[in-house]
Amino acid sequence: MIRVENLRKVFRVHSKKPGLKASIRSLFRRDWIEKAAVAGASFQINEGEIVGLIGANGAGKTTLVKMLSGIIHPSSGQADVLGHVPWQRDDAYRRQIALVMGQKAQMWWDLPGSDCFDLLREIYQIPADEYRNSLKRLTEMLNVEDELNIQIRRLSLGERMKMELIAALLHSPRVVYLDEPTIGLDITTQRSVRDFLLDYRRENAPAMILTSHYMEDIEKLCKRIIIMREGEIVYDGSLERVLLEYAPYKQLRLNVHRDSSTPLNREALDKMGEVITCEPGSLCLRIGRDRIPEVAAELLRIYSVIDLSIEDPEIGDTIERIMAGASGDQD
Amino acid sequence: MSISLFFHLMNLETKKLMSYRVDFWLTMLVNLVVNLLVLWTLWTAIFNESGKEVIGGWDLDGILAYGVLVFLTGRIVRGGDLQMAVSNDIYEGALSRYLLYPRQYTVTKYAQQLGNVFPDLLQSLMMGCAAIPLLVNSSTASVTPLSIAMTLPAILVAHLLFFLLGLIPQYIAFWADNVWSLSVLLRFVTMLLGGATLPISLFPDQVQEVLHWLPFVYLFEFPTMVALGKVGMSEYLQGIGSCLLWCVLVGAASIPVWKRGDLRYTGVGI
Repeated sequence: MIRVENLRKVFRVHSKKPGLKASIRSLFRRDWIEKAAVAGASFQINEGEIVGLIGANGAGKTTLVKMLSGIIHPSSGQADVLGHVPWQRDDAYRRQIALVMGQKAQMWWDLPGSDCFDLLREIYQIPADEYRNSLKRLTEMLNVEDELNIQIRRLSLGERMKMELIAALLHSPRVVYLDEPTIGLDITTQRSVRDFLLDYRRENAPAMILTSHYMEDIEKLCKRIIIMREGEIVYDGSLERVLLEYAPYKQLRLNVHRDSSTPLNREALDKMGEVITCEPGSLCLRIGRDRIPEVAAELLRIYSVIDLSIEDPEIGDTIERIMAGASGDQD
Repeated sequence: MSISLFFHLMNLETKKLMSYRVDFWLTMLVNLVVNLLVLWTLWTAIFNESGKEVIGGWDLDGILAYGVLVFLTGRIVRGGDLQMAVSNDIYEGALSRYLLYPRQYTVTKYAQQLGNVFPDLLQSLMMGCAAIPLLVNSSTASVTPLSIAMTLPAILVAHLLFFLLGLIPQYIAFWADNVWSLSVLLRFVTMLLGGATLPISLFPDQVQEVLHWLPFVYLFEFPTMVALGKVGMSEYLQGIGSCLLWCVLVGAASIPVWKRGDLRYTGVGI
């Protein structure tokens, strides 16, 4: 459904030193620098898949989405989405895709949602019955039936985003690009948008690419993630596998009797793994996954244990470390 | 693009403008009063100073009628002064939205600009009625129902030409980001060379000769002269044809500029 091969986008940006002198100089001569926003991305996405595109600001996520939706042309590389080259902007392609931009309103601010949707019906040539059913279903799912006749600019941010989602999905696209759809929304609205996207995917099975800085979005919606760093894809795989590859350890928490005859011995603990906390009566160790049974058995043997728990590290922390430059199987 | 979508876009744009009631009435009143005052003061002073009854083929009432009509038709031709709409879309990244739609951007934009004509048309009709005393007393110009009926097609082709003339300077925004100065310059040039500030017949003969080979006269002077009954039927048809020919030439010239510019578009703002 989506096939991307070695896609690159290099932007030429004007660079200016600070100060008035530099401003005057730039009127006559400009310095340019080339920046690879996307440096050779390759991946494939199948029908019904929701893929989370993750990366720090400036990692190239939005540029990649812009190329796939056909808004901008790449510097090199190839992409095939639904049998079309996105940036050739065939009408047949554009009828089958949608892009939701959390940071940029796409609807007409001075008009109520009902007028905007009516225009989109004309733009996408949606048959009248199909349009009515689709609009009814989407407004019910998002619970915005009463807001349809209010000017978009008078709606709250959450209501506006719901209207944006309806506008994007009215024509039942087969590929949906979601660029930070929950940005700036309160927790309740974020949850309702996520639930809506899950329901919509269950019913319509479009391929979705979701960029978000909220780990909860990614964890709830995506089984597969692509992590980008400085324009390059540094991880493409399942959300679960990211822990195995980039966090090959678990955290072992231990509570012992304070009046135990054997006090916690820091030197002995250091040999077992990385000590994260060691206080009277409690202990937290980071231990390689393969050594967990051995270390747990040893601790149970030495100390008078009240409670022992073994946890995976936070997935958000792991992804944050990957984005910051950690490499697989090294920790 | 289907006709129904074209009209839908127009309709929507009209509704959008009409939703701001205070702005609608205030724009009209302020424009009318200021323009009438400037026209009357300026031309009365010129005629009084010169001591002549007719200047360049115009008497005082005739030149005032020209001033009023060129102002009224010019507002429609300029279509709500949206000559920056395309460059703003490029500069602000709003173009991205239109590129996603399975419709041609420039046609969509033209439909929207045509939607701006209706409020202007309505205002111009109302202002025209208010200014009737200035339009009927001249011995050098006469406004008749036929001349008014002939004016509408001339205004529509002029509106299309004005839109197309603005495209290339606006597409420069793909390279230069902000082309506000270029748009102001284009407006100034089209107004001056198109007869929106003075009738072309008051320009020196050599300049008039050159101007008749350029597209600008079809923007403002031609529709106004038609409204004033100064254009015969064959000249009228020739004028409409020439205007359409200019539309084709200017529209064709804008296509390669769009294609080159599109390659540079970065979709800022998302």
